[in-house]
Amino acid sequence: MTHLSLKNVSKHFGDFTAVNDFNLDVNKGEFVSFLGPSGCGKTTTLRMIAGFEIPSTGQITINGADITNKAPSQRNVGMVFQSYALFPNMTVAQNIGFGLRIRKEKEADVVDRVKEMLAIINLEKKADSYPYQLSGGQMQRVALGRALAIRPEVLLLDEPLSALDAKIRIALRAEIRGIQQKLGITAIYVTHDQEEALSLSDRIVVMREGEMDQVGTPFQIYNFPTTVFVANFVGTLNNASAEVVDPAKSIIAIDGIQFESAVDLKERKKGDKVRVAIRPERFNFVSQEKKANIVDCRIENITFLGSIVRIQVMIGNSKFYMDTFNNPFLELPKIGDKDQVTCSREAVLVLDE
Amino acid sequence: MAQTALKLKGSPPVSDWKKWLGVTPFFLFAILFLVLPSLRLVMGSFTNSEGQFTFANLLQLFQEQFILDAYWLSIRISAATAIGGGIFGFLLAYSVTVGGLPKPLRSALITFSGVASNFAGVPLAFSFIATLGRTGFVTALIKNVFGINLYQQTEFDLYSFWGLSLTYMYFQFPLMVLIMAPALDGLKREWREAAENLGASTTQYWLRVALPVLLPSILGSMILLFGNAFGAYATAYALTGGRLGIITIQIGAQIRGDVLHNPGLGYAMAMGMVIIMAISLIGYSWLQKRSERWLR
Ligand SMILES: Nc1ncnc2c1ncn2[C@@H]1O[C@H](COP(=O)(O)OP(=O)(O)OP(=O)(O)O)[C@@H](O)[C@H]1O
Ligand SMILES: [Mg+2]
Repeated sequence: MTHLSLKNVSKHFGDFTAVNDFNLDVNKGEFVSFLGPSGCGKTTTLRMIAGFEIPSTGQITINGADITNKAPSQRNVGMVFQSYALFPNMTVAQNIGFGLRIRKEKEADVVDRVKEMLAIINLEKKADSYPYQLSGGQMQRVALGRALAIRPEVLLLDEPLSALDAKIRIALRAEIRGIQQKLGITAIYVTHDQEEALSLSDRIVVMREGEMDQVGTPFQIYNFPTTVFVANFVGTLNNASAEVVDPAKSIIAIDGIQFESAVDLKERKKGDKVRVAIRPERFNFVSQEKKANIVDCRIENITFLGSIVRIQVMIGNSKFYMDTFNNPFLELPKIGDKDQVTCSREAVLVLDE
Repeated sequence: MAQTALKLKGSPPVSDWKKWLGVTPFFLFAILFLVLPSLRLVMGSFTNSEGQFTFANLLQLFQEQFILDAYWLSIRISAATAIGGGIFGFLLAYSVTVGGLPKPLRSALITFSGVASNFAGVPLAFSFIATLGRTGFVTALIKNVFGINLYQQTEFDLYSFWGLSLTYMYFQFPLMVLIMAPALDGLKREWREAAENLGASTTQYWLRVALPVLLPSILGSMILLFGNAFGAYATAYALTGGRLGIITIQIGAQIRGDVLHNPGLGYAMAMGMVIIMAISLIGYSWLQKRSERWLR
């Protein structure tokens, strides 16, 4: 069931187009992330849903009711800001109860609801603390509780974790997802961190320069990117220019070295220039596993990334990364060695040049 | 590695006194013109005209009606101009910061405030006499345009309580602008948006968030304005020629030695002022700490 819907929404600031023709239907209880580089219009889109910006064109509806021009205070949409934005003159409990007191709910109900929220965000002990007495992670949990206390239709989060350090970021991200699922609330989450988007979302909208580049589940976005931009932005990706050699058999060549792909290339002609994309983890050394594409390479560099070892190889004149899981018995090649690598046909993505 | 550590250990004695070199002139200055005069003031207020120790000067502060009147008049003028200048200055600072007036206006107002807040004493008094005095040009203008003679037909008198207060306002409100503009800038846009997002109107946001957050700064600045007016001397003296007996003028009369000459009493009166100022400053710094914690 469509809960939140954006139809042909655009936003111009003077001559500049921040968001162009944005279309999205979000289901009730769905967690959707807007993912993209800085300046691509994520925040602007979120602020249009919250009512802080009015779309230049298009329509935004919640439960079918048009809210495009409604004041922010009349929308019943909860927002969590990157900078927490807690009211410094109020305690944790007062911050959480703010929206309810503004709505003139009965004091006893407010107290109950605040208790409930404090339990959800796991901060019962800090009810009477002031924001300046809390850590960043605690402040953001209060902000989440404050936004949820008013029982919003939709929860909006604008890079809520980017001011926190890595460990807390990962813990809080799981907590946010848990709370969202428990309450079954519809959520829009803005981030430029692909790992965050992949791990949290039901669906991801990848944005680029104000446009939606691709919409899909994390699985689709990661494994089947439809544009070079998405492929590059989400995860590490090897990509090189190539030439179609045999459209019928889906064979392309990088610097004369042939690869067979699972992508249907019948629409393309022999000699067409394309881009080939292969994830680093899809490569293997030939000695370990026999696959369709076996090509010569030269080892350029080896980097430890913790659980993963990233090996840089040259295939023809193109650089490729190859990831293998780290283990103490791994027999690593030496830099400068000549070797052979392989990858399955499915690993070879062919995109427009 | 070990060598660097050794070298670092050995170096502090050299740089230690060098660190203090830059502030030496300040300390010399402070000793000569702040510490020594303060000591002189304290000693003087416990000394009679024969040079002997006495409590008489301090006791006299509470016995002489003219002294109590002078303190009270100074307090009233300072409070009136602190509140008036405070409100006026706050509204001005508001309009050029969160109020959304054009940027150039803001820099113009800040520059003006920087100059005007330091414009006091004889020049200020004369500029007011030239505009609003008995023969001032604004007085004349009002008479010619509206046919009202300020000094005969109304209660207005530049050389009175309200006249002096009006003159003080000239440096009071700019000082408020200078202090409040940064404090207003410290209000985060997200607070307003969060409040709106939770259903608050603009008024509710101001009453429940912005003003409570600003209150320590507002009160603290008003205390500063109070002290600013309380210590003023030259402006009042030049404007009223001693007719309005505020405390600084009375102290001047005691120390300078005309009819009233009693330096010991003068010192005691000055010490009373120092105490009132010190109380204000303690209040100011307490409030300032509060607001810094919030606006961080
Ligand atoms: N009020 C405004 N006036 C003019 N331009 C604006 C305004 N707000 C945003 N923009 C522009 O719109 C573009 C998109 O901004 P937006 O804040 O939505 O980006 P973002 O995707 O959230 O980026 P980031 O990851 O850096 O937060 C930017 O180029 C920005 O400069
Ligand atoms: Mg943003």
